[in-house]
Amino acid sequence: MLFAGIRASRRNGANGSAKGQLIGGPAPDFDLQTLDGKNVKLSDYRGKAVLLNFWATYCGPCKIEMPWFVELQNEYGPQGFQIVGVAMDDASTEEIAKFAKDMNVNYPILLGKEAVGQSYGGVSVLPTTFFVGRDGKLMAREFGLQSRSVFVDHIKQAMNQGSRVQAQK
Amino acid sequence: MKTFLASVVLLVCVCAAAQDDIGPQGPAVKMAPAPLLTAVQGKSASVPLSFRVANGYHINSNKPKSEYLIPTVLKVEATTDIIIGGTTYPDGQDMSFAFAPDEKLNVYTGDFNVDVLVRPLRSVQPGKYVVRGTLKYQACDNSACYPPKQLPISFDVKIAKAPPPPRANPAQSPHAHQ
Repeated sequence: MLFAGIRASRRNGANGSAKGQLIGGPAPDFDLQTLDGKNVKLSDYRGKAVLLNFWATYCGPCKIEMPWFVELQNEYGPQGFQIVGVAMDDASTEEIAKFAKDMNVNYPILLGKEAVGQSYGGVSVLPTTFFVGRDGKLMAREFGLQSRSVFVDHIKQAMNQGSRVQAQK
Repeated sequence: MKTFLASVVLLVCVCAAAQDDIGPQGPAVKMAPAPLLTAVQGKSASVPLSFRVANGYHINSNKPKSEYLIPTVLKVEATTDIIIGGTTYPDGQDMSFAFAPDEKLNVYTGDFNVDVLVRPLRSVQPGKYVVRGTLKYQACDNSACYPPKQLPISFDVKIAKAPPPPRANPAQSPHAHQ
């Protein structure tokens, strides 16, 4: 109930503010390193629906969402869905890796950069989660901890968005 | 009537805009003006710095329970003539939050004080000095966290002249035993 109230004031889906004008446009591409030093671009996932989760090791609410993300990756991954975590953290790579291992994370964790956060309108709240359709367009954004059902709804929409594009390929 | 309607429209717009503002409006932690600390040359003195965490937010105490949490730390810049003898933090409160009801975090909420011990050198010139520093904290509310912040702090120290050292007992007059 408490979450519902907080969410109501924080929800910022397709109809956002000035920063929310990102929504509906192409998701800004980035090139970030994974915990094991590989480079990953968002555009590498073109054709898949992507949940892009900005988080940090110090963020308690982020920790609540992560087990859901593990389940959602297992459930929807085979249907062309990918979760990507971006750690906006001052902690060392080793600490972030340990945290991710402790949380049994089964999706890539990238080492975030301020510039990437800025390209997404500034990430001043953690967690902040974006949903990217199969066509590479940003379709929604959520600030703060959300209920699992909110993620499921957005994931389903993201998987449908741009599905024609995928079908034509 | 038109003015009234325009005011209502403006108010609605302002409220809508405010709803899109995310996170603390301004810093989640503010410092109250510090009392003037009077210290004597060469003697230690302590000043309590009072901080207030905005309603609805919490920050980690100086000794949070998890290695991943960022402690609240006051860093005071040393000056040439005034030594910082140490900082004393209050105990945090063990609290649970809606995002993790089974977990206790050790946090500061509302008002808390950090005591700073200063010791002016005996050689420091009497007068007023400003001591500066930063309070590093990381705030969260019930459903989100915010990147670590550094709050600039300062307080004034008035250095008073040390009383002259007591004189050695004068040699007893040879007449005293008469």
